[in-house]
Amino acid sequence: MAKTKNDILQGTLALLVLKTIAAQGKTHGYAISSHVQRVSDDLLRVEEGSLYPALHRMAQDGWLKAEWGTTEKNREARFYTITPLGRKQLELEEASWARLRDGVQRVLRYA
Amino acid sequence: MSWLARLRNVFRPDAVSAELDREMAFHIAERAEALEAQGMDPVAAMQEARRRFGNYGLQKEDTRGRDILVWLDTLLADLRYALRTLRKSPGFALVATLSLALGIGANTAIFTLIDVAMLRSLPVRHPEELVWLTHDGSLSKNPSSFTQALWEHIRDHQDVFSGIFAYGSTGTADLSSGGEARPISVGLVSGGFFSTLGVRPVAGRTLTDADDYQGCPGVAVITHRFWRSEYGGSESVIGKPVLINGQPFQILGVAEPEFFGLEAGYYPPIWAPQCAGTILRGAGFQGGGSLIGRLKPGVTLEAVRVRMAGLAPGILEATLPADLPADAAAQYRKIAFSAVPFATGLPGLRSDYGEALFVLMGVVGVVLLIACANIANLLLARATARQREIAVRLALGASRLRLIRQLLTESLLLSLSGAAMGLIFAVWGSRALAGLLLRPQQMISLELSPDLTVLGFSIAVGILTGVLFGLAPAWRAVRVDPHTAMKPGGRGVAEGHSRFRAGKALVVAQTALSLVMIACAGLLLGSWRRLATIDPGFRSEGVLLAGVNTRRAQVPGEQLGAIYGRILERLRSLPGVVVASAADRTPIGNSNWDGDIDVEGSETASGTDTRVQLNRLSEGYFSTIGAGLLAGRDFNRSDGLGSPPVAIVSRETVRRFFPDAPAIGRHFRFRYTRGFSAPFEIIGIASNTKDHDLREESQPIVYLALSQEATPGPSFNFALRTEGPAAALGSGVKAVLADIDPRFSLELRTLKGQVDASLKLPRAIGMLAGFFGALALLLASIGLYGTMAYTVSRRRNEIGVRIALGAAQARIVRMVLGDVGRMVGAGIVIGIGLSLALTRLVAAFLYGVEPNDPVTLSLSALALVAVGLGAALLPARRAARLDPVAALREE
Repeated sequence: MAKTKNDILQGTLALLVLKTIAAQGKTHGYAISSHVQRVSDDLLRVEEGSLYPALHRMAQDGWLKAEWGTTEKNREARFYTITPLGRKQLELEEASWARLRDGVQRVLRYA
Repeated sequence: MSWLARLRNVFRPDAVSAELDREMAFHIAERAEALEAQGMDPVAAMQEARRRFGNYGLQKEDTRGRDILVWLDTLLADLRYALRTLRKSPGFALVATLSLALGIGANTAIFTLIDVAMLRSLPVRHPEELVWLTHDGSLSKNPSSFTQALWEHIRDHQDVFSGIFAYGSTGTADLSSGGEARPISVGLVSGGFFSTLGVRPVAGRTLTDADDYQGCPGVAVITHRFWRSEYGGSESVIGKPVLINGQPFQILGVAEPEFFGLEAGYYPPIWAPQCAGTILRGAGFQGGGSLIGRLKPGVTLEAVRVRMAGLAPGILEATLPADLPADAAAQYRKIAFSAVPFATGLPGLRSDYGEALFVLMGVVGVVLLIACANIANLLLARATARQREIAVRLALGASRLRLIRQLLTESLLLSLSGAAMGLIFAVWGSRALAGLLLRPQQMISLELSPDLTVLGFSIAVGILTGVLFGLAPAWRAVRVDPHTAMKPGGRGVAEGHSRFRAGKALVVAQTALSLVMIACAGLLLGSWRRLATIDPGFRSEGVLLAGVNTRRAQVPGEQLGAIYGRILERLRSLPGVVVASAADRTPIGNSNWDGDIDVEGSETASGTDTRVQLNRLSEGYFSTIGAGLLAGRDFNRSDGLGSPPVAIVSRETVRRFFPDAPAIGRHFRFRYTRGFSAPFEIIGIASNTKDHDLREESQPIVYLALSQEATPGPSFNFALRTEGPAAALGSGVKAVLADIDPRFSLELRTLKGQVDASLKLPRAIGMLAGFFGALALLLASIGLYGTMAYTVSRRRNEIGVRIALGAAQARIVRMVLGDVGRMVGAGIVIGIGLSLALTRLVAAFLYGVEPNDPVTLSLSALALVAVGLGAALLPARRAARLDPVAALREE
C-alpha cells in the first residue's frame, strides 16, 4: 500500500526538513520539497502539500523561523531558517535515526 | 510565545487563510514552472503540479490547525453556530434567557447579601491576621465582652499580638442640637484601633495611644461617608468640633473610604477614644468591650489560645474585684480565655440574618431548578424538531461527542447570557431584598455592589444550569439513528416514547419541587399571619411614642422626675390626646431591664427562676396602651418619694410567684449581687402584655412608679393615645418639648410602627416565600401544559385512529387527564416525602405551626392538583375535538 511510504516519510519528515534547512540556510517550502526529492532520488515521493503542516508545526515549536521574502525571480514566498532550538532538535533526530538505522541493519544482517 | 501567536491567529482567521493560500500557491506555481521547463504544456503542467501537491483543502486545513488554537477556534465556530440557531427561534431564546436571568438573578441577589453579611473580609490590611479574644461566658452574658480592668491587663501582658485594641459602642448617641433626635452610635475605641487595623486617614490623622488617657478631652475620627454627607468632604472640618449629646468632640481626621467599621450593616459614623466614654455616658463609664489583636508574624491562633490560657490565672488574680463574695470570686478565678478568627468582623448581620438568608437561598435555588426543568423540556422538544439536521450531520461523519459539545455550547450560551442579565437584576434585586429584610440604618453602610466573589458565583451558577438543563436533551438528541430519522415520514417512528418519558420525568420533578415550595410558603405565610394577628395584650393603633433625651441639657438626676411630670402634664392637655403616660420602656421596643425578686414569706428554692422584666411608669400607662388593670389600683399621687415603695405586677408574675394566695398587699424584694432592696408592696395586677417580642410566652413583668424614683435616667418615653391618627400629633409634641427646654431631643414613632418593625423579618420571609412559591407553581404549570400540549400534538395520529374507531370524547379527555393525573400524583407523593424532610429547615421562622403540619401539606397538594388539571384542560379539549379525518390525512 502506498500509505506505508507516507508513514515512513511522516516519521522522518522533521529530520529531513531540518537537515535540508540547516544545510541550505534560508529556504522556502518548494525548495525544501524539491531538494528532498532530488537528493533521495525520488524515493520519498508523496503529496508535496503534506510538507506544510510539518513546516508550520516546527515554526510554532520554535525550531524554525518563518518570514516572507522574495525569490530571485521576484516572487513572494515564505522563507524558513533554522533556529538554535531547531539545531538541537536536529542533533537529537539524527542520533535517534542513526540508532534506528543501526538497529534495523543489525536485524537484517543477523536475523 | 507560541500559544500567544496562535491565540492571536484565532481572531484573524481570514488573514491566516490568505497567508496559507499565498504560500501554497507559490509552491504550485514554482512546480508548474519547473514542469513547463521540462517541456510540458502550461495547462498540463499546472494540473500535474496540483496533483503532486495533493488534496489542497485537506493540507490547508491541517496546516491551519498548526497555526491556531484549535479548541478556541472550534468554540468560536460553535458559538457562531449557536447564535445563528438561536436567532432562528427568537421566541425560545427570549423565554429561556429571561427565565434564566430571573432565576440566576434571584440567586445572585441573595448570594450578594450572604457575601456582604457573612463572607466578605473586613476592608483592612491583612484581615486574616486579626483575632478576637473570648471568654467562657461566666464573666458576662456576652462571651466577647471584657471589663476595663481585664482589657488593661491583657494589653499590658500579652506577647502574641503586634497590636491589640478594645472596641465598645456607646449604644445610641444623639447628633442633634435639640428638637428631633438624630440617633447615631459612636464607636469607643482604644488608641491602637487604627494602627492595629492598618486603617489610614484620608484627611487629618487617626487616633493614637496618646489620645486615650484618663480624663482626655473629646476627640473624634469620622468615616469617609459621614464626612461626605455631613461636611461635603471639606478639609476645613479638621479641628472643628462635632456635637455628640451636645458635647463638643474635636474632629482629628477622616478614615479611608473603604473602612466602614468592624461590622457590616452597623454604622458608627464616629470613633472616639474610650477615655471619652465618660463625656457621653457619665463618670461611671467603664471601657473595655471586644478585644481584637493582630497576630505577630509566625504566631498561630492555637498559640494565642495556649498563651492566653497561660496568662489567665495571673491576669484574673490581679483584676479580681475587691468586694466580690467568696463563691463569686472563686468562679471569677476559673474564667477561661480563648480566641477566634476575626477576618469577617463582628457577627451582627451574620447572627441576625444568616439563617433567613440561607432559607431564601434554598428557596430561590429550587425556583431556578424548576425553571431549568422547563428549559430542558423546551430543549427536548427542539431536539425532536432538529432530528433531521442532526441525522444529516451524523451521516456526514460528525462524531456524537462533537455534536453534544455543539449542543451544550448552545445551552451554555443561553445560560451565560441569562447569568449576565441576572447580574444586572441582582444589583437591583439585592438592594430591594436588603430593603425588605434590613432596618433602614443597616442599609446605609452596606456595600452591595457585586464583587469578584459574586461575579464568580453567577458565572458558576450559569455554567452549572447550562450543563444541568442542556446535557440530557443533548444526549438524547444525538442518539437518533440517521437511517431511520431520514426516511420520509419516519419521524413518528424514530422518536418512540422515550422523549415523552424524559419530559414527563421532568414534570414529575417540577411538581415535587413546587409542592415543597408551596408547603414552605404556606407555613411561613401562615406564621406571619398568626404573628400579625396575635393579641399582644395591648392595642397598638392610635398610640404615639415620644422618646425624650435630656442629656444635652445636663440636668441633674434629682430634677428629672419633676421635668418628666411637667412634660406629661403638657402632653395630656394637647388637643386630640385621650390619655398620656410616661414609661421607661415601651412594648416590643429594644431596651432591656430585668431583675430577680424574692417573695416575702415564701422560701425560694435555689435554682428556681426568679427573673422578672422591669419597667417604670406614670399612672395611666395601661389605659394608654390599651392593656387592662385586672385588680387593685393604678399608681397615683399618694405614691411619692417618701411613701412606701409600691409595684404593679403582671398576671403572669402572679401565676408564677403567688399561685395560691391573693397577690395584692403582698411584698417582694429585689435581690442584688450583694443584699436586697427595700420591700415593695403589690398594689395592682395588670393584664399580660408582650414585652420584647410578639413570639414570646407571657412574661412576668413588674412595674414600678416613676413618682417613687429619686433620680430617673436622662431619657424617658412618653406614650399618647390619640383620637385621630397617632402620627398627626407629632408637631404638637415637638412644640411642647421645645417650649420646656429646646436642648431636649425627641424621637417620635408610633406603637404600631414599632410592633410592625418587629414583624419585618417574618413578613419579608413570608412574602418572599409566597412570591417564589407562586412562581414555582406557575413554572410547574407551564411545564405541565407544555408537555401535555406536545404529547397530544405528537399523538394526533393515534388519537385520530381512536376517535375514528368510535372512542367517545369523554374517553379521550379521560385519557389525557389520566396522563396528567399520574404525573401530578407521582410528583405529589415525591413532594410530600421531600417536604417531610425539608420543611424542618424553616422551623426557626415558624410560629404556632409544626414544620410537618398536615393541613398545610394537604392544602399544598390540593393546590397542585387544581393547577395541574387547569394546565391539562386545554390540551385535553384539543385532543377530544380532534377531527379524525384531518389527523389521519396528515400522514
